[in-house]
Amino acid sequence: MAAEVIPANVRASSRRRLPVEAIQAWLFLLPAVLILGVFQIFPAIAAFYMSLFKWDVVQGAFRGVGNYTDWLYDNSIRSPDFWRSLSTTFTYVIFTVPLEIAVALVIAYLLFQKMRGRGIYRTVYYLPYVTSFVAAAAVFFWVFHPQYGLINDLLGVVGIGPQRWLDEPDGIFELAASAFGVILPSWLAGPSLALVVISLVTIWHYLGYQIVIFLAGLSNISQEYYEAARLDGANERQIFTRITLPLLSPTTFFVFTVASIGVLRSFDSVYVLTNGFGGPLDTTRTVTLLVFKTAFQQAQFGLGAALAFILTLIILLFTLIQFRVLGPRVNFGE
Amino acid sequence: MRVKAAILATLMLVSAACSAAAPAPQQSTEADITLSGAPVGITLWHALSGPQQVALDAMVKKFNETNGKGITVSALNQGNYTQLYQKTLGAIQAGALPELAHAYESFVADYMKADVVVDLGAYKDSVKNGLAKASQDDIYKGYYDTNTFPQYGNKLLSWPFTKSLAVMYVNNDVLKEIGKPIPKTWDEFEATALAATKKDSSGKVTRYGFAFNTDASYFNAQVYARGGTLMAADNKTVAWNGKEGLAVLQMYDRMNKNGSGYSPKGFDFQNDLAAGKLAFFLSSTSTLPFIRDLADKAPFSWSIANLPQATTDATKQKTVQFGANVAVFKSTPEKQLASWLFIRWMSDTDQSAQFASTSYYMPVRKTAADSQTLKDYWAKVPQGKQGFDLIQYSSPEPNVRGQQDIRDVIFNMITEVITGKSTPDTAIATAATKSNQILKDAQ
Amino acid sequence: MSERAVTIPRGFPGLAPRPRVRTIAKHAVLILVAGVVAYPFYFMVTSSFKDILEATRTPPTIFPSELHPENYTDAWSRAPWGRYFVNTIFVSVSVTILELATACLAAYAFARMRFRGKNLLFTIFLATLMIPGEATLIPRYVLMSPSRVACAGLPCLGWFDSYQVQIVPFIASAFSIFLMRQFFLSIPSELSDAARMDGAGHLRFLWSIVLPLSVPALITAGLITFLGSWNAFQWPLIVTSKPDFRPVQVGLSAFRQEAGSSYHLLMAASTFVVAPIVLLFLVAQRYLVQGIARTGIRG
Repeated sequence: MAAEVIPANVRASSRRRLPVEAIQAWLFLLPAVLILGVFQIFPAIAAFYMSLFKWDVVQGAFRGVGNYTDWLYDNSIRSPDFWRSLSTTFTYVIFTVPLEIAVALVIAYLLFQKMRGRGIYRTVYYLPYVTSFVAAAAVFFWVFHPQYGLINDLLGVVGIGPQRWLDEPDGIFELAASAFGVILPSWLAGPSLALVVISLVTIWHYLGYQIVIFLAGLSNISQEYYEAARLDGANERQIFTRITLPLLSPTTFFVFTVASIGVLRSFDSVYVLTNGFGGPLDTTRTVTLLVFKTAFQQAQFGLGAALAFILTLIILLFTLIQFRVLGPRVNFGE
Repeated sequence: MRVKAAILATLMLVSAACSAAAPAPQQSTEADITLSGAPVGITLWHALSGPQQVALDAMVKKFNETNGKGITVSALNQGNYTQLYQKTLGAIQAGALPELAHAYESFVADYMKADVVVDLGAYKDSVKNGLAKASQDDIYKGYYDTNTFPQYGNKLLSWPFTKSLAVMYVNNDVLKEIGKPIPKTWDEFEATALAATKKDSSGKVTRYGFAFNTDASYFNAQVYARGGTLMAADNKTVAWNGKEGLAVLQMYDRMNKNGSGYSPKGFDFQNDLAAGKLAFFLSSTSTLPFIRDLADKAPFSWSIANLPQATTDATKQKTVQFGANVAVFKSTPEKQLASWLFIRWMSDTDQSAQFASTSYYMPVRKTAADSQTLKDYWAKVPQGKQGFDLIQYSSPEPNVRGQQDIRDVIFNMITEVITGKSTPDTAIATAATKSNQILKDAQ
Repeated sequence: MSERAVTIPRGFPGLAPRPRVRTIAKHAVLILVAGVVAYPFYFMVTSSFKDILEATRTPPTIFPSELHPENYTDAWSRAPWGRYFVNTIFVSVSVTILELATACLAAYAFARMRFRGKNLLFTIFLATLMIPGEATLIPRYVLMSPSRVACAGLPCLGWFDSYQVQIVPFIASAFSIFLMRQFFLSIPSELSDAARMDGAGHLRFLWSIVLPLSVPALITAGLITFLGSWNAFQWPLIVTSKPDFRPVQVGLSAFRQEAGSSYHLLMAASTFVVAPIVLLFLVAQRYLVQGIARTGIRG
């Protein structure tokens, strides 16, 4: 084919033109490099510098990794706060991401089939994503209101007593068990009901976005696979589990990674729904909220910056592990 | 060459240190200068919004038009108090502070770590620009106390600005219905709240006696009102863990269990009181305009009263004084003086009365009560006078370093009790240990 | 095309009525989820037309017993919303256009050009996506300050209270660069080779061939950027002091403080702040799926 001839040509010519092309490439990159360099990378370096000092409103003594070790093990107040917030953060991920993916996948699968009202459904699911958490929070306070909330009214109809939702520090398993008169040990209590509500609001917010990504992934699957399966007499469930799911796995993996990183570094959702406190009883204080509290409520910029870098490292590590463990199992199609 | 330079530098440093350490009789010179009349622009960052912002803007406009010294103040809202604090911290790093900022005591204590706050003592006492003795004494003593910082050499680092105090709001209609007076003691209070509580046939509470407040200030106010203190005399340990503090938690616990108290969300308690679903809540006097608004829309009878007290002896009654102050940041002598002249003007009798009647904050002077402006206002809003009469009982909360974190500890302590996570005894003991640790770390 | 995926082989009488049952079941699931998703919006809009007493009634009324459109004029008159909207629109549009420009240039370089350090630079760009914004807030703020001392001798920008402080830092984003790069990679390389044979320069090739093919991706990246800019809150709050330059989200937050317990007014303000962006997405949403589909999220 002709295409096989041209690359040889191009390769030869591009090798000759390499210096010119490199200069051109850097010119193309210049605006982005400049902006990201000045407004993202330079501040990150400056923040790293701050993290090496005692910086209590103003710059103090050099501490080296002192701020880091304070968080990890060295300080009797800081380090329990850190480990607790880290466990809260991962709990938040666990109670958000899998459910979000499952619901988005099912909805996307249903929507992908031609049906009436597709556009309307898609629009409705997308609404939350374009709404800021600031505006959404005002409404959710009402929906989950302990006295006047709709959810409590609905539960009342089924005979379940009113819950405190965003004000409830008790673990959900603890609450469920106590309804049957069982008292669970504290390590089995589970995340606080407040954190679960925040998870649900997060899912509500991102659901439409994930649906769109899944729709895109579905449209990337060649029709030939379906046709072949159908010729073999596969039913719809078989097609879904044997064709759609495996071929969609790159998309699922992508969504999983992006959603996890998103939740790990999320701030607005928790901040807005807990009025910045990470309450009740600190059960929703994620690492980002602890960064914010340390830097902007206690004015300990050095400690705050150190914590932010610890979180960045954790996110990097988490992403690498995902790629290592899950990456090889993903079916990349070709 | 380099050695020489180093020696020279050291010498300069030493001499600078010496001159700084020497007694400074001219300390007040900056406060005694005269403004030439050339234009001086100063900026005030504040956290007032809505009608209170309108009230402040009107005052600022009047000052700009009448000061005759070329001073122009621009008052700019910077979000709520947390956002204002956050922004001021950034401005300290950036060296871009305004001349004045609205601030709580704990904010000022943090700003002082960067040594950017002007000592107002010299201005207050300046013969030329200060206040005469009688005028100084006209301002409530508690307002000086709260702005004087023990850990910074007892300097006067901020000035009363938007002051208020913790009071009890009462729905009179509810009390009338159950035939009880406004309670004066805590036992009466608890009994009245229980009597006001109503349940429907399914057992769901339709009217509560009391709305719990998890904010530390109202816990502190109750400790005061029960005759307790908040800090040990040496400021090294907390003192609210005594029998008074425990009594507060035990009352919350009982009221939670018998259904007469509940935890409101956001500002619900305001609507609930207005809708006759609640008999009492504790709040700041600055909540007044919101209740008044609600009463305008759907009339009901309400009043502001002192918190129930441990004693009937008026000289020993106590509640918490709060509300924010204003701090002046170091800039040029002219701008600092201009800033002082503005806040001095704001606290003159006329302005104090004027601002109190438009912003619903408390006047900073006793003589403001004699002004016609306030009398006219009180004729329309009797609750304003009810609040004013309680200023004499109000005492500041501690302004030591670490107080902000202790407030969080108290907040969690109350939450633990009203969610049934801990008993009052355990909760208060744990919280006190933690608070004392915080105080130790903050030294 | 996908219609066939749900077609049951004909001539299998036992299954004949199932498609309809199945369709109904599918709609039931979709409607249920849509109801849950849309309820908060329904609540927001209906509450915005109630009076204060009805807005706080429990259980909430399904529909306002009496319409109060004056809530909107009341809420509108309580803050300089006109100014806020002008500011937000100007900032969001500028950020979107400029950001797309820098993203296209950079993405093209990453996708189609050879140069040393390409992978390293791309990795650094992506790494910027992982640092939480709270960490760099203080240095970014200091950078904007007018003082020279604070920036350790480096020139500070002195941009407080301006439009550029809300625009310039956001006109390059690693996310958009990544998105556009993926899309450009999906454009068959034969096209570029052919064009190059014609002697077309990179810039001309990008402008006249790549970009027209990339409209869905441009719209996708543009919408996401526009959305981020429209909903920006924390940064504009701290870098602006005067209402002259403040955006709607800061206005809404201030209004929340001011409205206190006037929930009906708060709901009205929330509605008119959310409405424009919702409308924009209604118009543009059909491009979104196409845009994302072609950006090759295959890993």
